[in-house]
Amino acid sequence: MERRGETIDEEQGLIGPRPRAGGGGEGVSVRRTWPTVDGPHGLSEEESVAYARSYFYWGFALLPFLWAVNCCYFWPVLRNSHPSPHVRRYVMPSAIGFTIFTVLLGSWSLTFLLGGEQLFGPAWNDLVMYNLADKLGLTGWA
Amino acid sequence: MAEANPNSNPAVLETLGEEMVRIVAPVSACMLLVVLLVTALSSSSGGGLASIATIAYSDDSSDSLWDKLKGALLSSVSFVVLITLLTFLLVLLFYLRCIRFLKSYMALSSLVVLAFLGGEVFLLLISRFYVPVDVVTFSLLLFNFAVVGVLAVFLAKVPIMVNQGYLVIIGVLVAYWFTLLPEWTTWALLIAMSLYDLAAVLLPGGPLRLLVELAISRDEELPALVYEARPVEHLPGAGRRLWRERRDLASNSSSNSNNLEAGDPASQDTSLVIAEEGPSVSALTAPFLQQQLERHGEVDLEGIGLSSSGAIKLGLGDFIFYSVLVGRAALYDFMTVYACYLAIMAGLGITLLLLAFYRKALPALPVSIALGIIFYLLTRASLEVFMVQCSTNLLMF
Repeated sequence: MERRGETIDEEQGLIGPRPRAGGGGEGVSVRRTWPTVDGPHGLSEEESVAYARSYFYWGFALLPFLWAVNCCYFWPVLRNSHPSPHVRRYVMPSAIGFTIFTVLLGSWSLTFLLGGEQLFGPAWNDLVMYNLADKLGLTGWA
Repeated sequence: MAEANPNSNPAVLETLGEEMVRIVAPVSACMLLVVLLVTALSSSSGGGLASIATIAYSDDSSDSLWDKLKGALLSSVSFVVLITLLTFLLVLLFYLRCIRFLKSYMALSSLVVLAFLGGEVFLLLISRFYVPVDVVTFSLLLFNFAVVGVLAVFLAKVPIMVNQGYLVIIGVLVAYWFTLLPEWTTWALLIAMSLYDLAAVLLPGGPLRLLVELAISRDEELPALVYEARPVEHLPGAGRRLWRERRDLASNSSSNSNNLEAGDPASQDTSLVIAEEGPSVSALTAPFLQQQLERHGEVDLEGIGLSSSGAIKLGLGDFIFYSVLVGRAALYDFMTVYACYLAIMAGLGITLLLLAFYRKALPALPVSIALGIIFYLLTRASLEVFMVQCSTNLLMF
């Protein structure tokens, strides 16, 4: 008698009978993927769309980390290993937005770091964080 | 033919190691970060910290031993009394089903911890290492960090990694803040909290036991800061397989209606555990001790238990107090750090074994703190002398 095994796909989270070598017959293989990076512990499809949308819109409130969380969370959708057009509509722009934000902030930060006083003049000393902290006494309470 | 069915013992052992690692790793990460922070930022200013913990006594190095001891005892006893009162208040609120109030209060206190305490620690690091960050970058990043942190821990669904990471960060920040207390007060506080933990979880009238029983009887999750290890996926034919079924929010007819109004899905997790081919899985819920932090009035939990999906849950208060012990050991020398780390891990292992044996809520503090303190004293008393002699005679190290 032929041996039938069961497969479990750990990332994919579902178990299905291995299809027989001969093909056809009753062997049905079900491969289910999940839209979130947490796999079976993550969200369902409907919830995913709602979350993707709300993270995308809230990211505009000066919260690009939410865009990063969006990309991270729906990584399978971004990599197209789990096709989901509704979710992708929000995750793609989040990824683009986060990249743009990183480029902008990084360039400003590097300019500040490397330019130093030559570029900014005395204003550099007013803007740099450790001086500002001392001036305002922010580290005074520990 | 049926496939070979391994007997259940190796199956349990297969995943036992992984489950333990998933709890030991974040505890170790928390302790490591606290030790790094303490060694990087330690300055000569010891006491002088105004807070409720030192409301009864503020360390002064010229005091005699007896005065210090008295003061430390007074501080720690007042702290424990405060915590007990706050815990009973929490039980009352939970009993009256003011879940929404509790959640928003805790979200607010997490925000305070992440934004203010976190901001201060980052500023201290920046000042210490003279990192030339400017105001705009710093404030933007801090704002993002704090808001996403609050969302991750309480209000929304995020990747499990992000949630766990933020819980560890909150533990690190609070533990660092605690190491700023004067020395005798810290030790007295640790001992007092262990005793409180023991009493509150195991005694029939203890507030934490009441809380746990309420949560179990209503089949709800406690709204609190709890670290939950990711459930381990078992292989087929190996015994248990645990699935997490998400309850649809709309159909949740239990007493979680308060949460539903807010539309916030934070604590809706499992309710079902489906067991296949093997011994049935007992549905255990989470047990926790709690602990209020003085300044921020945050509700953390201590204590260890099993969640309804079989994953191990450890309250954040445990993370904090383990790290406080190790951080305080770091203020002396690294030798004590290693000794205390090993002692705490041994204590944690023992507690996990007891948990597997008794299968109910257990206090995670007493065993580890007791071992930690004993080893700290032994190290200072005997190991140090030994190592110094070895080093000066060029024998080892």
